Amino acid sequence: MRNRASNTLSKGKIRQSWSKYNLYNLQRFRSPPTTNRTFFQQKWSAKAVSRAYHGEQVREGQWKRMFNHRIRSVIPMNASDLAADDGSLASAGRGSGLETKDGDATYQNRRIPYTHMAFAPLERRLDVAIFRALFASSARQARQFVIHGAVTVNGQKMRHPSYLLNPGDLFQVEPDRVMFATGTPKDKAERREGRLAQRKPEGEEESKEAEEEKVEEESKETPKEDTKETLKALMQQAKSIMSSGKDTLPAKRKQELRGFQKAVRRVLSRSASSTVLTDSLEAQFSELTLLLNAKRAEKKPEKKDEKKDKRRSDDDAVASKGDEDVEVSSKLSEAFEQAAQGNDVDASELDDEEFDTLKRALVQMRDNPIDNTKPYATPWRPRDYMSAFTFIPRYLEVNQNICAAVYLRHPVARPGSAEVPTPFGESVATPAYGWYLRRRW
Amino acid sequence: MAPRIQSRSVSNTLLPYLTSTSSSSSTTSVPSLFSTPSQCLSRQFSATAAPQTKLRRQMFEWLSTEGAALKHHIPGETNYLTRLKQRGGSDGPDSRRPFPNNQNFISEPILSEELRNEVYNRVVTKGQSVRVVSVDLGIDMQRIAAVVRLVELEQRQRKQGKPLALPYARAIHEMVPTTPLAEQGERQQFHEPINDLPAHPLTGTQIFYPVPESRSFTRVEAGRVFSAAPAMEHSEAGAISHPSDLAEKIIENPNATGWVGKGDNRRQILQPADVRIPHPHLVSLERDRITNPKERLAVADAHAKRLERQDAAEKRRRERAAARREQMQTIVSPEESRFDYRIKDTVYTAETTGKDGRAPWAIGRRYGVPHRDRTRGEVKIPTRVDA
Repeated sequence: MRNRASNTLSKGKIRQSWSKYNLYNLQRFRSPPTTNRTFFQQKWSAKAVSRAYHGEQVREGQWKRMFNHRIRSVIPMNASDLAADDGSLASAGRGSGLETKDGDATYQNRRIPYTHMAFAPLERRLDVAIFRALFASSARQARQFVIHGAVTVNGQKMRHPSYLLNPGDLFQVEPDRVMFATGTPKDKAERREGRLAQRKPEGEEESKEAEEEKVEEESKETPKEDTKETLKALMQQAKSIMSSGKDTLPAKRKQELRGFQKAVRRVLSRSASSTVLTDSLEAQFSELTLLLNAKRAEKKPEKKDEKKDKRRSDDDAVASKGDEDVEVSSKLSEAFEQAAQGNDVDASELDDEEFDTLKRALVQMRDNPIDNTKPYATPWRPRDYMSAFTFIPRYLEVNQNICAAVYLRHPVARPGSAEVPTPFGESVATPAYGWYLRRRW
Repeated sequence: MAPRIQSRSVSNTLLPYLTSTSSSSSTTSVPSLFSTPSQCLSRQFSATAAPQTKLRRQMFEWLSTEGAALKHHIPGETNYLTRLKQRGGSDGPDSRRPFPNNQNFISEPILSEELRNEVYNRVVTKGQSVRVVSVDLGIDMQRIAAVVRLVELEQRQRKQGKPLALPYARAIHEMVPTTPLAEQGERQQFHEPINDLPAHPLTGTQIFYPVPESRSFTRVEAGRVFSAAPAMEHSEAGAISHPSDLAEKIIENPNATGWVGKGDNRRQILQPADVRIPHPHLVSLERDRITNPKERLAVADAHAKRLERQDAAEKRRRERAAARREQMQTIVSPEESRFDYRIKDTVYTAETTGKDGRAPWAIGRRYGVPHRDRTRGEVKIPTRVDA
């Protein structure tokens, strides 16, 4: 199927996509005018506009067969209301309940937006559901994932994007594909590094070995250097990683992370078991935490600096939240520097917060490592303008860790809200629904 | 992103001389509008049209000014287009709307990681029933079942050492509103409404049904009117003090609803909302509370007993159904065979094999009827995948 779903600026169509072109189109979209236009024209343009968003990959005839004029809706019931009244109050008087003196209705009368649900049958499609679960950056990409065999339904590989999910179906996408779809793309240098890494796996190993040798040499050169010094340096680097904000360039950030990785290696090479270095990152991490715990056991219960701010940056993302947090983290690092400069400070006297920071830096390094063989920029960051499109409708239950989701039920309308995500208002939804009703009138 | 850079370089030195009149106008008018002076210099002698259209220029202008706020997410907050459009008070229900034009779609909160684990612990470790957990945490029963399934899958994958998308998960939980797990001693925030009543298609019709004003017309009777069933006998109607009385009876025996119509038109009588909601026992609990407002303990006790009774009834029913299914078919599993054979008695009726006994959906091969996957227009996309 030819992909006609381009995000052209001249047409200004809204698509199921996270691209910035689409964001701009969404921003400048105005509902088609209705004055001086016949009903046919109004319905036509409403249909055209909404079909460009809802299932443009589905042929019109196919969609017409899927369309159903009956729309699922649901009324949230209150148990105490039901218990208080057996229905005779609502049917009292002339059949619509007795009028109250103050004139307000006993039942809330928010309208159910039925026509916003016109395209609900399309939400059952596998490709659309993958897009809605935030596993792909566009419905087209989701479709490609399905066709390329990266998607399973109930544990079986499913290669039909048009598979209609049944309530209770569990679908899963390969996490690497999801990270690729939602992550920042690689820049030129990273692409090149990735190519090189793939082309010469042997050379890479050699260079790794050389690096390790270098590390060993270093350790030989300074055998009498205290572990406390290295631990201090490690702490410093962890601190800088955790505190760097949004403003820091990715390249700079990467350098810091690399430095941290090296420092971790150095510490590990000093420790007794050198086999850890060749093991996976997981083993390195557990070894390092073990080391830290040992240090902590030695530590005396001595509270050092009271002036330290209690607040801490939870994550690098949180740290970048505002100026306050940056200030706090800088204070923290200052305090740490002061502590580090004094010679009497022992490495084993690191306090809880510092250990916490170090641990979090390690966890981040383990979970989100630099790896140029991945198809996305590493460490993984969400792609630009992603947050403007992130929402998860209620009819899906998603587990992001394993990139799996369950299609709980068909989308429903309820008073005041419709579950089908559509960027159009009432003035487009109703005529579009009317267009597909036309043979039934 | 920087504006598109012109890829073609002008190699023909004669070009500016040949098309001097036409190019001079374009160079003076177009670049002055959008580009930096260095760019102007670079395409001084170009005769090709500017690669930057007006729309592209406007887009990048917007992305660098207003749209820049949407480029990165704000942890713990939503960052939708609607926020930009509002200018000013960003908090409130409007900050939850991803689409500025659509008033009726809001981004609903998702379960936080801790709440998800709590659900799993309660159901799997503590062995609480899905119904109880649903009422306690305000989470739909289907969602609880899904959460248990997904957490189990996650644990299995962690054990197997399969790759996980942890940074992605963290980023999503920062972007989307979440329902947190309550701290110790605090009241749990409910995730979603749990007693949703699906609108039945029969209730879509408008019916004129005259009833004397002196008579009380309840939900049970309204359901009968909608499904065109005759009115109840007086004795039958008198036995029902409240529509929720029916709920327990129907949980015991789902066929107790009563039927109307003949043949293809045979259908169940529409039941009142008290029966059709997912948690009918909550209505009974509320009724007990209304009648005995001071005896809290007794009410709670009665409620626990009722739940136990209903669970037992449901379990019995499920067992009966399983037994019946087992009786219908014999499973033969020969030794050294990869397959189990499920043998059922054929039912030879018009529904199962068609009027002439050769319907395409009938079991077995029939002379002159092509195999199903050979017939024209047959869709081979599966309609279901068994778990």
